[in-house]
Amino acid sequence: MEHRSLRFYLRIYGRILAQDLKSKMSYRADFIISTIGMLFTNIAGFISFWILFGSFPSIGGWRYEEILFLYGFSLVSLTPVQCLFDNNWNLRSSVYSGDFIKYCFRPINLFFYYQSEVFDIKGLGQLAFGIGTLCYAWGKLGIAVTVLSVLRTIIFLCTASLIMVALQNAAAATCFWIQNSFYVLDFVTRFKDYARYPVTIFSPVFRFLFTFVMPIAFIAYYPSLVILRPDEVPLLSWLSPLFGIVFFYLSYRFWMFGAMRYSGTGS
Amino acid sequence: MKLKRYLTLTRAGIIESLQFRLSAFIMVLGNLLYLIVVYFLWRSIYDSAGTDAVGGMTFTDTLIYLVLATALFGFMEMYAVWEIGRSIQSGQIVLDLLKPIPYRRYLFWSYSGSFVTQFCFTFLPTFLVVALVTHGAIHFGLNLLFFVVSVVLAVSINYSIDFLVGTICLYTESIWGINIMKQVIVLLLSGATIPLAFFPAALRQVVNCLPFASIYNAPLTLLLEPRPEPRMVLETLGMQLLWAVVMNILSKGFWRISLRQITVNGG
Amino acid sequence: MTPIIEIKHITKEFRVLNRREGLRGSLQDLFSRNYKIVRAVDDISMEIGQGEIVGYLGPNGAGKSTTIKMMTGVLEPTSGEILVAGSVPYRSRTKNAGQIGVVFGQRSQLWWALPLIESFRLLKDIYCIPDAAYQEMLDFYRSLMDIEPLLHKPVRQMSLGQRTLSDILAAFLHDPKIVFLDEPTIGLDVAMKARIRTLIHALNREKHTTVILTTHDMGDVDALCRRIVIIDKGRMLYDNDITHLRGFFGAYRTLKVRMDGDLAAQAAVIRKELPDCSVTADEEWISVLVNEEQARVLDVLALLQKTHDIRDMQLQEISTEEVIKKIYEEGVQ
Repeated sequence: MEHRSLRFYLRIYGRILAQDLKSKMSYRADFIISTIGMLFTNIAGFISFWILFGSFPSIGGWRYEEILFLYGFSLVSLTPVQCLFDNNWNLRSSVYSGDFIKYCFRPINLFFYYQSEVFDIKGLGQLAFGIGTLCYAWGKLGIAVTVLSVLRTIIFLCTASLIMVALQNAAAATCFWIQNSFYVLDFVTRFKDYARYPVTIFSPVFRFLFTFVMPIAFIAYYPSLVILRPDEVPLLSWLSPLFGIVFFYLSYRFWMFGAMRYSGTGS
Repeated sequence: MKLKRYLTLTRAGIIESLQFRLSAFIMVLGNLLYLIVVYFLWRSIYDSAGTDAVGGMTFTDTLIYLVLATALFGFMEMYAVWEIGRSIQSGQIVLDLLKPIPYRRYLFWSYSGSFVTQFCFTFLPTFLVVALVTHGAIHFGLNLLFFVVSVVLAVSINYSIDFLVGTICLYTESIWGINIMKQVIVLLLSGATIPLAFFPAALRQVVNCLPFASIYNAPLTLLLEPRPEPRMVLETLGMQLLWAVVMNILSKGFWRISLRQITVNGG
Repeated sequence: MTPIIEIKHITKEFRVLNRREGLRGSLQDLFSRNYKIVRAVDDISMEIGQGEIVGYLGPNGAGKSTTIKMMTGVLEPTSGEILVAGSVPYRSRTKNAGQIGVVFGQRSQLWWALPLIESFRLLKDIYCIPDAAYQEMLDFYRSLMDIEPLLHKPVRQMSLGQRTLSDILAAFLHDPKIVFLDEPTIGLDVAMKARIRTLIHALNREKHTTVILTTHDMGDVDALCRRIVIIDKGRMLYDNDITHLRGFFGAYRTLKVRMDGDLAAQAAVIRKELPDCSVTADEEWISVLVNEEQARVLDVLALLQKTHDIRDMQLQEISTEEVIKKIYEEGVQ
């Protein structure tokens, strides 16, 4: 198999993205409504915490601001999966209708070609909201702003993103085997809602489960410990970037394996 | 109205939803996972509070409330907004309108099959498990009857809201945005994510004037009340009935007006 | 000359779920499932030379698209060998994809929201087409047809015919060795069909591109293909020249004559006069099917003119469509 350079792929992605944005602008109303809808979900999450902490002082020893930090962290880290990999949601229907076959005839990486087709701009609204929440919580918690802490935040945000992307790829790829894989994807997408809570609230069995079997705890909890509670960072937090890369690679292989095995329903 | 032709739709829906055994399994798994998260989350919230009852609800009350809210959601959510939106965008709506059954009714009865499967495979088991686990927290008496009546009204209100929102898709292409806004508003303001009892008093008063509380909060409150006062039952059911009628008229009216506009403008 | 595509005894099998019927059946399916093996392609061999246009025909579900998927490297054959331009397609799918072009009549492979020229620019990058070759190809397209109205229109706003034209142009853009066309003229009007046939013909002639054409429209076959391959139920029925095909069922031609009076009655008379031919009558014409190995059409006509007052006549070749239909129905002995 011919391997093409990263630069080749970046150039093509840039091209597609620029064209895509140009054409999206002709659907301004859709863009605005979707962005508002996205913000609605984020604000609703915010309000839930606000209501909760109106009646209760803390969740398992975590204060309002700390929980907000986790929330903001998870929102920011969800941006890549939302913006760059949103075509995973269409995978099922294009496999089902047989349209998926058209992606197989191009001399470039199938996974790349498929994902490059959609760039979902409404994720940017969520990104802005997430950064806002993160900064607000950061300020309230009085965490020092140093080069190191910002750098750490960025690295661990990337880690969390990789894991979320990996989970979604794997979930979407199940449609190559089962028909109604929407539920799998929906199931995994709901993980992101659980990622807002510190994994310490669970009993040891489930803590293990959410760390190693369904790595939800890596989406926000382990990475953000590095910034939130630098004194009690477990080894797992430091290892999480490695996990992120491994998970992502495995999910990519799984996706490609499914796509290759896919024998095309219908014509 | 001949019941038989509607029941045919119900039967087809049951067969269709039985095709996907894996998705059924995953749905159960997803709900289970959600329940675990809910359990531990609220366990630690109540632990942190240090008191048994907050806002008139004990931990067990809250748990039953949220678990059953999820189970109710599973069987009330019919993705009608998506269905209507897609049908409009693909032009399929023209064919749907030609069917000898009014579209609003046709759509509802197409879903009724999955009502039945969802009720048997999700709601009933969940309900029984909750009743067993919390031994005795759910009173088996007249409240069950009130609950059932209340759920029927809730389904009607929910469908009317869905249909109303779905009609908006005649005016915009942004199905995703419209649907997510509806979902967020309904879930938050109906008390499906956080029981209304925890809402700040001012907010609660606003919410009580809206139809959403009648969808989740009303049936669940009726169920959890072991010896309901007749006045309270009448008030709740009366309120629900009022909303059911109002929303029904609104959604039918809006649909009729919108459709006229479409036929005049030629789509 | 070495062939560009070599297929030796390929077979492809699928495992298909047997669904039971009715409410009870679906409940049973929930707990136990039974599968059956379906052989979609069964021991097919052929060789195709560079620059040929081959009509690949067969009824729906005959295994055409399965064969094509194997040639494009999307599917791996269960057994047998395929070589496309010297390499095994499913082992080097990406490399193979650079040498082929694919068009599906019903589904566009272009970027839906983009104007055609932008799709072309993306394809130029994806297939690493050199600037000079790209320009040359565009100039060649311009010499074939007026592409300007297409270039700046988003694909989603195009009519089906324009979309198909665009898809074909896009498939040839990187000057591939082989192009697979799957029902390129489906759903199009007569004029557009003719344009598309002319375009394919010109591209094949100038670029010497091998074209594999699957279609149900015999007009496509007559206009483009010299060689046809017919398969049904996964098995090869026929692989030869299209002219050879016509002789296959004997040299039949239909002579149609028109005359005054009661046609049915006169047809009965003719039937007695020409015991070797089958004679039928409709409201306007009496049709006489003549086997030229037994009698010459002109002799038959002369005979008829002696005894009947013929007002008008027509001579019909047996059409490809009828022959193919016969092969689908009866097979080849």
